[in-house]
Amino acid sequence: MPTVLEKKKTVRINGCVASAQAAKYADVDVIAAYPIRPYTATMMALAQMVANGELDAEYIVADSEHSQLSIAHGAASSGARVFTGSSGVGVQFAYELYSPISGSRMPVQMMIADRTLDPPGDFGSEHTDALSTRDMGWLMGWACDAQEAFDNHLMAYRIGEDPRVLLPQMVCQDGFFVSHITGDVELPDPTQVKEFLPPYKHPYPLDPRHPVSHGPQIMPEQGPPLQLERARAMEGSMAVIEEVHKEFGEIFGRKYDPWVEEFMTDDAEVVFFLQGAHAVTARFAIQHMREKGLKVGMARLRTIRPYPTDRVCEVLSKFKVVGVIETNMALGSPASGGALYADACAALYEAKERPLVISFMAGMGGEAIVLKEFYWMAEKMMQALKRGKIEKRTHWVGFEE
Amino acid sequence: MATIEVQRQILPILANPNQGARFYNPELPQSEPFVPGHRTCAGCGPSIQYRMTSKASGDNTILVGPTGCMYVANSSYLCTPYNVPWAHTQIGSAGSFTAGVAAAYEALIRKGKWKGQYPNIICEAGDGSASDIGLASISGALYRNHDCLIICYDNEQYANTGIQASSRTPYGGMTTFSPPGPEVPEGKKLFPKDLARMMAAGHPHCYVATASVGYPIDLMNKVRKGLNHKGAAYLMVYTPCQKGFVYETPRSIDLGRMVVECGLYPMWEWTPEKRAFDYSFRPASIRPVSEYLKLQGRFGHLHAEHIANLQKFANEQWRMVGVELPEALIKAADPKNQINMAAAAEAEVVAETV
Repeated sequence: MPTVLEKKKTVRINGCVASAQAAKYADVDVIAAYPIRPYTATMMALAQMVANGELDAEYIVADSEHSQLSIAHGAASSGARVFTGSSGVGVQFAYELYSPISGSRMPVQMMIADRTLDPPGDFGSEHTDALSTRDMGWLMGWACDAQEAFDNHLMAYRIGEDPRVLLPQMVCQDGFFVSHITGDVELPDPTQVKEFLPPYKHPYPLDPRHPVSHGPQIMPEQGPPLQLERARAMEGSMAVIEEVHKEFGEIFGRKYDPWVEEFMTDDAEVVFFLQGAHAVTARFAIQHMREKGLKVGMARLRTIRPYPTDRVCEVLSKFKVVGVIETNMALGSPASGGALYADACAALYEAKERPLVISFMAGMGGEAIVLKEFYWMAEKMMQALKRGKIEKRTHWVGFEE
Repeated sequence: MATIEVQRQILPILANPNQGARFYNPELPQSEPFVPGHRTCAGCGPSIQYRMTSKASGDNTILVGPTGCMYVANSSYLCTPYNVPWAHTQIGSAGSFTAGVAAAYEALIRKGKWKGQYPNIICEAGDGSASDIGLASISGALYRNHDCLIICYDNEQYANTGIQASSRTPYGGMTTFSPPGPEVPEGKKLFPKDLARMMAAGHPHCYVATASVGYPIDLMNKVRKGLNHKGAAYLMVYTPCQKGFVYETPRSIDLGRMVVECGLYPMWEWTPEKRAFDYSFRPASIRPVSEYLKLQGRFGHLHAEHIANLQKFANEQWRMVGVELPEALIKAADPKNQINMAAAAEAEVVAETV
């Protein structure tokens, strides 16, 4: 490791620009763009970098998100490092491609700045866009600020391109709260990135010197072994994810728990369980409540695919009540609320001591979760603690007494 | 930024265009990028086209196969017929996946990450992919001018899924989505989308041409012209489907000629340098459409008026390419001068009982 990191610098940028910077530091070869708010700002920044000659990449303005993902698939299949992204309904327009990309084991990277789905055409952040693709074989996790978004992009390339993994990655951040709020981001010295992220090398690219066939038609009995391999790659990525986070901390000096960030959980009785940007306000709210003597904490999920089942079980089973802050909608799901609840409950099923679990529909439509709502949710959890059972599985925060 | 110049292949044009379906041409390359080991039907037009096209392109080639017959019937897992790299992509991704491959090679060669001549990148899209679901993706690739060749192997239907009408299915063509019946005696009521002309008109910087398996040397030369053209090229090739057209298996090449001779598949090239159509191709003879129609079961239900409608359509196409119509063809466009197909009455009876 070089001792002098001359080119390391701290800049004040938003999450979108942080993602664009990460793509630049990763020296991506092909970028597939298509406009949709709020992620567009990432592609705007990359277009300028290419125009300025700061980044040598093929910058393609696609004709749709479906084409964006197909371009990314074709380019990754040919041995190029690829960057693409989307938001909201754009994520879903490309839906067909998610399984073929992970099934052909192409480590495409996609940046998501969350946006609510239509109707009614809201720009605000809900995680439903990306979460609706969560079982398609993509590595997936949320950042809570611009610095973490930058770091996650670099780590995701390294994890996804690892020959033991070879899976695409969805690197998510909340629309507006992360994508459009500026903060201090430390940009590394390029030598650090060089040390951390080796050039992309797929073992079987489309190369005329070594002909291969990708994605042939199969007989029914030939499918399951391939599916099993993909499932094993996802499972096997867990060890690589831990290894990469550790190495990232050593090189860049920022240490992340790859799975769950715990905040003031030491003696907590009730905790908020969430992912993404609302963790920033949650931390503040928790400190406020602590001053009033409430034993509240937070557990923030950083990686949702692969789901850290054992870790979530170990962390959440320490508490009496868990309040899941969803920021997504899963209509008709087990709690008839959000998607995070079901995964958390499944992880807790084998715990010796199971906490009570409540699902909170909060931050919907991209609204900030304000202090009094955190108090309201904490109050619901305290009541459940006192009563020894929950009042109901799902509360729509702001719609109830 | 220091960049490496991308070296591109230039393929020689073969002698004797327009002729020579059935003789040995010593100029043909030895290489066979598309080999036996696939499951296409006997007489399969698209696979004949595949062999000619890939032979013309050579070994430094990458093939892209959106979903269609040439994906499903060719690429059986563990038994691939491709001697060059090949990748499946989704049926709507023909142009976009191909653009990704092209962009990757531009970047990798320029950045010194891959060394060698830029490969010939060919997408083999069926007419369902090219004229319907993948149309926007192909238009995007042509518009952006990626250095690649997009071929529509046009068997005028969704054959892989069991013969359904596409927007390339001719008027009167029977498919499972356009069956004839007492209310709709002609089967398909709509005339086909003029796909190749649309591509030429909308992307005038591209090399665009139509071709047919009936004229192999002409087809191979158009493939090479498309590949030699720096930028995007588009080729629409008539490739009969025995299963869907219902004809005698050995007659694929005959149909490939007759469709041109009867005016239902005009052969032309769009020359981007001149911004003009080249209509100089002339078949050895000109025939009425009925001679072509009667060889195929898919037209067996047509009445005299439907045949006349098709003749009218063919006559319009002849005029578009500047051919002066013989008196016989003008007469043939009048229903009075046509007779029902042999199966027309039978088809009506069957339709009523279904």
